[in-house]
Amino acid sequence: MTIRKMLVAAVLASVTVVAGAQAIAAEGPPTFKVDASWPKQLPNNWVIGQIGGMTVDAQDHIWVFQRPRSLNDADKGATLTPKRSRCCAPAPSVMEFDAEGNLVQAWGGPGTHPDWPVSEHGIQLDSKGQVWLTGNSDKDAQLLQFSRDGKFMRQFGKVTPVTNSMDTKQLGSVASIAIDQAANEIFLADGYSNHRVIVLDANNLTYKRMWGAYGKQPTDMKMKNYEPEAPQFTNPVHCVKIANDGLVYVCDRTNDRIQVFQKNGTFVKQFAIRPETRGTGSSYDLAFWPDRNQTYLIIADGADNEALIVRRDDGKEVGFFGHYGRQAGQFHNIHQVVTDSKGNVYTGEVDTGMRIQKFVPSAPPVR
Amino acid sequence: MFGALAALSLLAAAPSANAAEALQFRVDPAWPKTLPNSWIMGQIGGMTVDAQDNIWVLQRPRSLTDDEKGAALSPPRSMCCKPAPSVIQFDKAGNVLKSWGGPGGEGYDWPEQEHALRLDGKGNIYLAGNGAKDQMLLKFTTDGKFVKQLGKLAEPFGSKDTNSVGRVADIFYDAPSNELYLADGYGNHRVMVIDADTFAFKRMWGAYGKPPLDVTPAPALYTPDAPNFANPVHCVKIASDGLVYVCDRSNNRIQVFRKDGTFVKQFVYDKDTKGSGSTWDMQLWPDRNNTYLIVADGTNNFIRIIRREDGSVVNTFGTGGRQAGQFHWVHALAIDSEGNLYAGEVDSGKRVQKFVPNMKPQR
Repeated sequence: MTIRKMLVAAVLASVTVVAGAQAIAAEGPPTFKVDASWPKQLPNNWVIGQIGGMTVDAQDHIWVFQRPRSLNDADKGATLTPKRSRCCAPAPSVMEFDAEGNLVQAWGGPGTHPDWPVSEHGIQLDSKGQVWLTGNSDKDAQLLQFSRDGKFMRQFGKVTPVTNSMDTKQLGSVASIAIDQAANEIFLADGYSNHRVIVLDANNLTYKRMWGAYGKQPTDMKMKNYEPEAPQFTNPVHCVKIANDGLVYVCDRTNDRIQVFQKNGTFVKQFAIRPETRGTGSSYDLAFWPDRNQTYLIIADGADNEALIVRRDDGKEVGFFGHYGRQAGQFHNIHQVVTDSKGNVYTGEVDTGMRIQKFVPSAPPVR
Repeated sequence: MFGALAALSLLAAAPSANAAEALQFRVDPAWPKTLPNSWIMGQIGGMTVDAQDNIWVLQRPRSLTDDEKGAALSPPRSMCCKPAPSVIQFDKAGNVLKSWGGPGGEGYDWPEQEHALRLDGKGNIYLAGNGAKDQMLLKFTTDGKFVKQLGKLAEPFGSKDTNSVGRVADIFYDAPSNELYLADGYGNHRVMVIDADTFAFKRMWGAYGKPPLDVTPAPALYTPDAPNFANPVHCVKIASDGLVYVCDRSNNRIQVFRKDGTFVKQFVYDKDTKGSGSTWDMQLWPDRNNTYLIVADGTNNFIRIIRREDGSVVNTFGTGGRQAGQFHWVHALAIDSEGNLYAGEVDSGKRVQKFVPNMKPQR
């Protein structure tokens, strides 16, 4: 609780700085406020379910990978027989929004491809605008590639029972995808079943390398949760993100930590994130503050239900925004966090949260 | 969609009210502010507004999941949160003024599931619940001091019993007669009227003003011409001209009575609605004539603005969803003297939202 008080004090201090002298705001961490008008009302009587994954493309469009099957009968009453209510119908799984909150396009969903993920989770666009998707059920052993407008292209693995962390022919419920365009490599946070980061060659979708915690060979040994010093990843390995300087950030969610690697898997350092957290863990997802040095990590903490602002060089928490709850700007199981080039933050919620929110920064990132 | 979008563009074009413009609302997502003390709210059973336009909320701490009340677990799971007390008073700016109540307490039976609350303007507040054993009505001071109880936590007594209630969903205080009108309820099938001081039985009625009946097995729901009320009888409100409005939720209708229980007429909305029905709660637009009824529909998840005179729908707003201004099981409404509307949600909705009108009520 003392930590919280200090943080509150720090945030209040930074708010004062922003209000008092706009020019020096760039020296402190940004603060954020919700833009409750984003997104706009969906067309076609659509409603969205849990937000498995989110990403931002080169045009600052926001891509959402949501779970139509997480909606209950009351949510999708208009599709029942007999019809239960006027509202609503599940939206397609993949949705592209612009920064103003307009839905640009939507496609995909259960039944649209034989190996469509049982539970939608990872989404990432590559530099050609192609869309990569994964799922987190214990049958989601696959990675799918689609064109930007939803035409199926290629896949690695398929819907089949997951195996183990030594299997290089299939995946184990992948939570997150990162793409190293220069090397043409795909990094996967693998995942809800396996305990590894696995790297595939994007040219021919073949295995290249993998590693566990501290860069060691992955194992599936049973481990306790909430151990930021644990020798291996626990489940889920929940995010993988590559910074501009080439460092690879991995969320070991239920161990309340983020581990940092070089692209070849060499361990660099780790940050414990609110290590007293129990439940589903503190380090759900992270996004880079888009200034020149990517000075901050913005971490979705789905247990405390705050977005944490953490200094990237030393892991020190310097601010947070949000609060547990259902009002605008609050979170119920915040699960995803992404940033666009202007420093807008977009979040997505799971469980009964089932929404996406936009947060606007107090000052733009300095490049 | 149902005219709501059209009304929004009207708003944008001409913000000043005029005679041709229909009443419409837009969300104020800044209300309420974050609760103090790491508190979080559960489902919203009921809401009301006091004479100072403060908003009173009756919420359900026991509807919170372990995840939501992680800071109250042992060991704590997370920094947030702890269940807020059941009764919370907010001011118009969204600050908490007062809070009290909740499971436990000596000398009375706190409801198993919080549902209804109403003030009498004399420093008292009346509460009821819709849990399986909530056959009671409670009276407290607005500071939370227990005053009086009718009925008790027990198995149901039925719609003929005049010394208890049957899972009351809504309470209306009629100041001129000092009477309480009860929407009774989730167990019984009646409107019951009692004296607000003595809790003595005065009168009761069922659908069409007939004697109330508990029919077993329960007749088919979604029958707007059913001879009896279904469960739940979910709202009761009295307009300035003395007409009494009752939500027969699962029959998708509102019945209108005189204060003596004489049936006047009924309005039916989306008669094919299944689920939990279309008529959940209602408020009266606070102009001189209560020109409009504002009706929450927690199955279709929108709010209808209805001309009270003839029951016609003049506008709607909201749709299903979790974003600001959308609804997941919109369940309870309150309205202040300026026409600001407050809407509370149940199931996993668990929030209260404020909606600002596009015109002032004319008095």
